[in-house]
Amino acid sequence: MPHWLTGRDRDLLAEAVRDALDGRLVHPLAAFHLEDVLSELHVAAARDAVWPASAARVRLATGMAQDVLPVRLSAAELTSVLELPTLPTTLRGLLGRGRA
Amino acid sequence: MGNRFGGSSAGLLQRLRPARIDVADLREVASDVLPVLATPGLRLDVVQRSGAGSVVVLEEDERHLRVHLDELADDMTRAGVAPTRDGISAALSSWVAHRPVTDAAAATSGIAVLDWQDRSETAVGWRVVVRRGELALPWAPSAAADAPGVHRARSAATGRAHDVRLELRVQGPVALWAHPVVPMLATAALVAPERILDCIGAAGLDLPDMHVVITPHRPVACAGPAIAARLAGETTEASVTLPWRSLADLPWI
Repeated sequence: MPHWLTGRDRDLLAEAVRDALDGRLVHPLAAFHLEDVLSELHVAAARDAVWPASAARVRLATGMAQDVLPVRLSAAELTSVLELPTLPTTLRGLLGRGRA
Repeated sequence: MGNRFGGSSAGLLQRLRPARIDVADLREVASDVLPVLATPGLRLDVVQRSGAGSVVVLEEDERHLRVHLDELADDMTRAGVAPTRDGISAALSSWVAHRPVTDAAAATSGIAVLDWQDRSETAVGWRVVVRRGELALPWAPSAAADAPGVHRARSAATGRAHDVRLELRVQGPVALWAHPVVPMLATAALVAPERILDCIGAAGLDLPDMHVVITPHRPVACAGPAIAARLAGETTEASVTLPWRSLADLPWI
């Protein structure tokens, strides 16, 4: 299931991931997954540029803002993100939803 | 063509509960509009035929189309065309704009693009299209077109595709190509993938093993194989992903 993130959410996520990678604070395997998270943030925007209709339908049906995009992370990528100690609380809540 | 009457004239309610297009109204609008749309090479007429109903005649070079007015009115009703003078007029103009492409038009102004090979939307091939305003109409060679003529038209269309100006946007590891007016022309640049690689490289993205994600009528995405797979794999939309070197081997359709 994708995570529907605003532009601000995506910026915060990218910043947290970049900080962790720049600070070499993560295990090399986690770093590999975090690099893929950064890619996905770009790919999510590219996906919306190529095929905007499906996300637009969801936004219309749910009343979400125009800058909200579906971001699709693998389980390993999501785990790597949630293990970041510097992840903002709001993002932790958004991304951790459904992972009790 | 599902949208040959244009898509913007009818709202959702209008399409769900279409109001009937009256044949007499259509005849009246057609009598006013068709002469304006006609050109020296394009004959557009409403022919009154006693007992058999009126017929709309569209003739351009080898293409001859005769459509009963009542059938055209039914098609407009089903398409949800607004039953007003403006609505019918716009639908009629759109219908004329969607007319078949002649062999001569394909030979003189055709452009090579990628399109779905069939309705299954699983494979793409090269096709000659002719631009009419914001539309790109496919060319199907007529029965009179011989093989050398078809080959010449396709070669010339490939040459013209080089000149189509597209917009490049780099989104991280993805390069996106789009046409500002006619979405279908976005794939025209793929006739020269080496040039695309140069442009993307000049924009700061190095893609030695470039793969291309193609959905005809949508922007073209270029990326490395893993990113291309991620882009196309996580969507339900139909697309084809190809290494750039295989673009030249795609068949003509």
